[in-house]
This record gives sequence, C-alpha cells and structure tokens, in this order.
Amino acid sequence: MNDHTELQPALSISGASCQGCVRNITRALESLTGSAELISVDLESQTVALPDGINIDEAARIVTGAGYPAMAVDAPPDNGSVSDNDPDHDTGSQSGRTEVTADGDEVHLAVTGATCASCVNTIEKALKSVNGITGAHMNLADNTATATGQANSQALIRAIESAGYGASVIEDPDAADDQKQEDDRKRYRDLLVKMTVSLGLGIGLMVYGMGFGTMMVTEANQWTWINLGVLTLAVMATTGGHFYIGAWKAFRHHNANMDTLIALGTGTAWLYSIAVATMPFALPEMARHVYFEASAMIIGLINLGQALELRAKGKTSEAVRRLLDLRAKTARVIRDGAEQDLPVDQVRVGDQIRVRPGESVPVDGQISEGSTRVDESMLTGEPMPVRKGEGDEVSAGTLNTRGSIIYTATRVGRDTALAQIIRLVKKAQGSKPAIGRLADRISSVFVPTVMLIAVVSALVWYNVGPEPAVVHMMVAATTVLIIACPCALGLATPMSVMVGVGKAAEYGALIRQGDALQTAGKLDLVILDKTGTITEGHPAVTHLYASDDDTDKLLTLAAGLEQHSEHPLAEAIMVKAKEQGVSPGKVTGFETINGKGVRGELENQPVRLGNRKWLESEGIDLAGLQEEADTITSDAGTPLFLALGDKPVGVIGVADALKQDSAAAIRRLHDAGIRVMMVTGDVDATASAIARQAGIDDYRAEVLPEEKSTIVSAMRGKGYTVAMVGDGINDAPALAAADVGFAIGTGTDVAIESAGITLMRGSLHGVADAIEISRATVRNIHQNLFGAFVYNTLGIPVAAGLLYPFWGILMSPILAGAAMSLSSVTVVTNANRLRLFSTSRNTREEGNQ
Amino acid sequence: MSALLVNAGGLMLMAAIVWWFWLSPSNDTESNQNHSHHH
Repeated sequence: MNDHTELQPALSISGASCQGCVRNITRALESLTGSAELISVDLESQTVALPDGINIDEAARIVTGAGYPAMAVDAPPDNGSVSDNDPDHDTGSQSGRTEVTADGDEVHLAVTGATCASCVNTIEKALKSVNGITGAHMNLADNTATATGQANSQALIRAIESAGYGASVIEDPDAADDQKQEDDRKRYRDLLVKMTVSLGLGIGLMVYGMGFGTMMVTEANQWTWINLGVLTLAVMATTGGHFYIGAWKAFRHHNANMDTLIALGTGTAWLYSIAVATMPFALPEMARHVYFEASAMIIGLINLGQALELRAKGKTSEAVRRLLDLRAKTARVIRDGAEQDLPVDQVRVGDQIRVRPGESVPVDGQISEGSTRVDESMLTGEPMPVRKGEGDEVSAGTLNTRGSIIYTATRVGRDTALAQIIRLVKKAQGSKPAIGRLADRISSVFVPTVMLIAVVSALVWYNVGPEPAVVHMMVAATTVLIIACPCALGLATPMSVMVGVGKAAEYGALIRQGDALQTAGKLDLVILDKTGTITEGHPAVTHLYASDDDTDKLLTLAAGLEQHSEHPLAEAIMVKAKEQGVSPGKVTGFETINGKGVRGELENQPVRLGNRKWLESEGIDLAGLQEEADTITSDAGTPLFLALGDKPVGVIGVADALKQDSAAAIRRLHDAGIRVMMVTGDVDATASAIARQAGIDDYRAEVLPEEKSTIVSAMRGKGYTVAMVGDGINDAPALAAADVGFAIGTGTDVAIESAGITLMRGSLHGVADAIEISRATVRNIHQNLFGAFVYNTLGIPVAAGLLYPFWGILMSPILAGAAMSLSSVTVVTNANRLRLFSTSRNTREEGNQ
Repeated sequence: MSALLVNAGGLMLMAAIVWWFWLSPSNDTESNQNHSHHH
C-alpha cells in the first residue's frame, strides 16, 4: 500500500464518530481536492489525511462548517475554546470555534469499585458532567474509563470518586497492563480472604443455631445473640465494607447500583436481627428469629462470585496479552560500529538493528542487509513465513526464522504496527455495540425499581401474609434486594465483545468498533472490489503454450526480450521465468513498438512478442495458436504471441489472476447465506470471466471508482445489509458508504481508515472469518442478555414470594446471594466459551498443510 | 395502629425512593449529556 504514503494527516478533528461522519467530511472536502479518493478520514485518531498542496486552513474551515471542529495538525491547540457538549452531527450546529481532539485528549482512567451496569452509567454520567468532556465511555470488562475532550485529569478523578468509585490516570496504557495484572492478582487474593472470613462466620452461625436447635432469641440466649450480632457487624464491615461505602457514595449522588442492593439487603437483615436480639419481647414469639448468618453469608458469596469473575475476566483479555507478549524487551543495536543489546525503548528511528535467526523483530524497519524468511502469523494470521530481502519492511513482534539481517528502524515505541494493533484491539474491545447500550439504559432505572418492588412485597407480606408477618416481610424484601443485582446484565455485552474482538484479531481481522462487530453478523450482501481484492492486483502469467511443447524455450525467448522492458506485463513474464528456473535468452537490439509489443534479435533472427494484430501485420501466421488464445481471452487474460523469425513459437497468457483462495472464501460466504457481488472498472468480458472463476453471483463492470459508493448505497436502499470489501484508500468512499467496510490490508498496514474492519491479510477468507466470529459473538451476547434477563424476571417474583401461595416456598436470602453470584459467573463463563470458537476454515491449520 | 404505621411508612419510603432517584434536581445532567450514537 504505497499509496498511503502520499496522504498525510493534515487536520485534527473532533466529533466524528461513525461512517456517516466520514461521509459528511469527505463530501465537504471533495470540492477542495476534486476527488473523494484523495481524502481519508481516520475515526480512531480523529484526523483527516489530505494530499499535498491543499490549503489546510481552508480545509479546516470547511470541515468545521460541516459540524466537526477541525484544525491543522501542526497548529497549536486552542485551549480556550472548549466545547461543553457533544458536537451535534445531524444539525451541524457547531459554531466556528476550533478545538483539538487528538490522541492526547483522550484520558484513560483505571476505575475501581465498578461492578454492574448501573455503575457504568453512573461513571459515564459523572465524567460527562465535567466541563470540557465531550464523551465518556466506561468498560466494565477491564474496568477502564476513557474520557474525550479537554479537562484536567484530576477533575475527572474527583468526579468519579464523588460518584462512589476509585480512579487513577493510566499514563501509559501499554505499561498499565502489567500493573493491572498484578493488581488483579492482589485483589483476587484479598477477595478470597474476605470470602473465607465472612462465609466462615456465616457457616459457624448456622452450625451454632442448629447446635442449639434454633435461631430464635430466648431469654437464655439473648446476650449470646447480641454479642454474635456485634461480631457479625464487625465482619460485615471488614469483609463487605466496600459495598457500604460504595452504596453511600452512590446514594449521596442520587444514584443506586449493585452496592446499594447488597448494602440494603444485608443491612436490613442485620438491623432486623439486632432489633430482635435486643428487644425480643416487643415482637410476637414466632418472629424472634435472627438472620445474622444471612448477612455474613451473602457478603461471603458475593465476594466469592467477584473473585471467580475476576479470574474469568482475566482470561477474556488473553488475545491482547498474547499481542503484548510479542513485544521484544531488548534490541541488538549497531551504533558506531559496535553491537550492543539495548532496552527496546531506547531504540531510535534510524538505528541499525541486527536480528539473528530465531529472534523476534524488536521495532518496525526496513532491511538494509541480508535476507530471511519472517513468520508474521502472529500479526496477520498468514501461516507461511514471508521471504524478506533488502528494502523489505519488517514489523515488530514478527519472528525471524532463517537468516541474520540488519535493518534500519523506521517506527519505534507506540508507532510500531504492533503497538497500533494492540491499541486498536483494546479500543474495540472496550467499545459497546448498540445492543449493549440498551442494556445500560435498562439498568440505570433498574436498581431504584427493585427497591420499590422490595418495599411493595414487604407491604404485601405484612398485610396479607401469614404469621409471623414481620419475619416474612423482612425475608421477602431482603431476598428481592439481593437477587436483583444487575451485575449479569452489565457484564453480558462487554465480556462477549472483548472475547469476540480478540478472536477476530487472532484471525487477522481488526475490528474498529463494537458496532461493526454487531453489524457484520447481520450482513447479507458482500460487495467485492476486483483488483487486489479478488485478484492478486498485478498481472501474472497464467498460460504458457508452445507450438512444439517446449515451454522453456518460449519462456527463454520471451524473458530474453522482456528483461529490457519495464512494462508490468514484462515483469509478470520475468517472474514466471524466475519461478521456473529459466534464464533469459541473449536478445539484442531490443525495441518497444508502442501499443503493439516488443522486438529484438537472437542469432540474427528477429524475435517478436506482442498482440495478434501486430504479428499478423508482420506476415506471421497465428492460426495454429487460435484455440489457446481464445481460452486465454475467455479466462480474462491477454494473449501475447511470440514469433522467432517468421514462425510462431507460442502464446503466453497474462492476467490479473484470482488469488489462490478467493473462490474458496466466496464459497464460504455463500455457505453463510450471503450474496456476493463484484464491482470493477474492467470491461464486461474480463469481469464476467473473473466472476465465473470466483463463483460470484453478480457483477457490475466498467464502474468508475467514484460510482462504487453509489452502487453500495443503491444496494442498501434495496434493503440489503451491505459489506464493501476493498482497498483502504481507493475504495474509501465505498467502504464508508457500506454498513460495514472491510479494508483489505497487506501485511501489517493497520493505518487503514474508513473501514470498520481491517484485514491484515490479503485473503478474502478474512471476510468470512470476521462474519462468522461476529455472528458467534452476537449470538453469545444474546445468550448472555437473555440469561441475565430471565434470571432477573424469574428471580425477583420468586424472591418476593410469588410461589408461596401455591407451594409454600419462600426463598432464603442466602440462596438469593448464591444465585446472584452464580448469574454473573455464568455470564462471564459463557463469554469465555467464545474463546474456543473456530471459524469454518481454520486458517492456520489449512495454511500449514 | 401498628399496621397503619407500617403501611404509611412503606408508602413514604416508596415516595422517597421515587423522589430521590428520579425527581430530585441533581439528576438533570443526563438529559443534555446523554448523547447516544445516531445510528
């Protein structure tokens, strides 16, 4: 993708959040550049790349006018002009002020104490209320929050803290992972200790109660129960203190979350019990029952649930960790002629680095000496090691399998392709598809609603329930509060997204947003660009036919002529000669006959290679090659005839050949029930031949580049959910117009804009893989949400005592605590199941065959 | 008498929950900040 180098990020923008925004910006700037193809909008970095020679100030003005505050990349940020609200895309009501939203304006925070969907809402709301913040996003799966805009990070921390949670700034998101792993391990151990203490007390109390035959307070055991009550309170405070503190902080801010429910549930049980213990005679005899063990056990069970959840969460981020582990620690740098091992962060652009066989490449660069084969499978999913020689690029994290090379560092630190991939994957893992936002909206009203239900059921038990009414009302209210925790609801989507995005990355498909992940599962039409997507993108020799069956001679002569030419067709012939181990013949007196062919001399005989018309006009009879030539033409190739003297030697077919696996990948799309269409600028005959070979349902030939996006829009208009697959630059507008854009990358070129999904490997199998993974992920999310929803809709009525009138069943609060913990563990475990998913073509295995 | 007190207390508690979590003024940030994606 050499084309990328021509476009440089010129504008820094803000507020562009989707492909619709990309379209708006591209359309607005088209008047300036003359073509949409010269504009490239990167949603991730919030930049617009433009070709050289464009008036950047004018471009900034236009983009700002279109509703996306923009300024030149080099210009200093205008700190005084901060937007308090989100830019309103639809009305374009932005004023002309400018602001910068570059990478540096995203603040990443590590958040502690967030446990459920309500917490997510509370934290996002708290962040958005900070002046200057235009967007906030909390990811429950890895407990990080990202705020966009311009604000003091301390103000953000204060906002989160006052909402009842803890926060710290993540200075270096890459380094934070190791720290987080360590913190998680510590927290896990801590939770286990707390769990042991509280469950130990709870079980002890149960045994004590049973040993004495009762949990009822009598005159004889009153003081024992009072003492045990105080002990329970101490254990509740030490092992469950974080629930009470969290609940109080949330309450002060008119919020309610999981902590609120746990605190209210366990608090109600304890208060009731201590009241019974201190003044048993104020209550009817049947109601003198204590529930200290319930408070202790609920806290123990929830701590256990959180510990299990923490462990399972760790597994979901395995994909990122695997990428992180690819980073080399040291590099063998050659400075002033001496080789030395330096920590990789000390390597600078321009350094010469030696990589020996078996070592991994520490930073991105270009080989200056030596050749080797490099295993890039970890980044691209491409199973075969790639041959690399002088001038070729190597990427950090890939493995040098054969020779020793010296290369020049071109990108280091956070600029390497690997670092970009990690950032992209992490960002996508944290993003929330529409389906998840719905769950968040539901849960924000959920907790207060549950509190109302608890009060209502308590009153119903009091008024119409059997004796002892006070006990029943307390048990029902406590159980409702405990069972209704929305933690499963909050975890359902982010857990699956995290695993799904990681899975896709394993297959070499980088998903940019959660929305792309969700939409990719619904696709029913895939539109493919032809050149470079279905085909190799450059001509190659597809047929060799010699009149006397001596194809080596044919190739020797052709290569002898073409070694002097720089035409792409000549290159194809030279590649073929090299492949077959044929050395070019000694042809002299080379000349190019424009539009016709090439000629030269071999041992005083003229050699000509060119089209039929020219050779026939030179008096050569090509009738004997007619049949072969027709085959070549019908396979979308160009026949080149070769004559030595007056005699035809043979015909060579040159075509932009199908990629080896295109047909198989298209079959997979068909198997998934997806219609496949091709768009190409080629003439109808070529297009139909390629479509036939690849098994494509429908094609549009002679399409101008700018018409591709119109076709995409038209197909969407017909009701299809459309994916466009093409090259990230030339097809950018079409990619942006589609429901999901797939940019076909080569190697580790991840800086492809305007696509929802970037395929690091040139194979169309990536499209099928991504679609299969998306479907599996969305299915997983549905299962999780369904499970969480069913759990709550069944659990709450049962807890409230709905089964009592029929079967006399009233759920115990302890059982509710266990069920609640189980529900979130189930969701996380189900998401982890996705890790075992493998697509219908396991790329690695098949490639190694 | 105690039945009346309990029921009245319960209703007041419900009213307090509704007021505190939905109606009280400090919840107003949501309306203009909750900009959902426009897809």
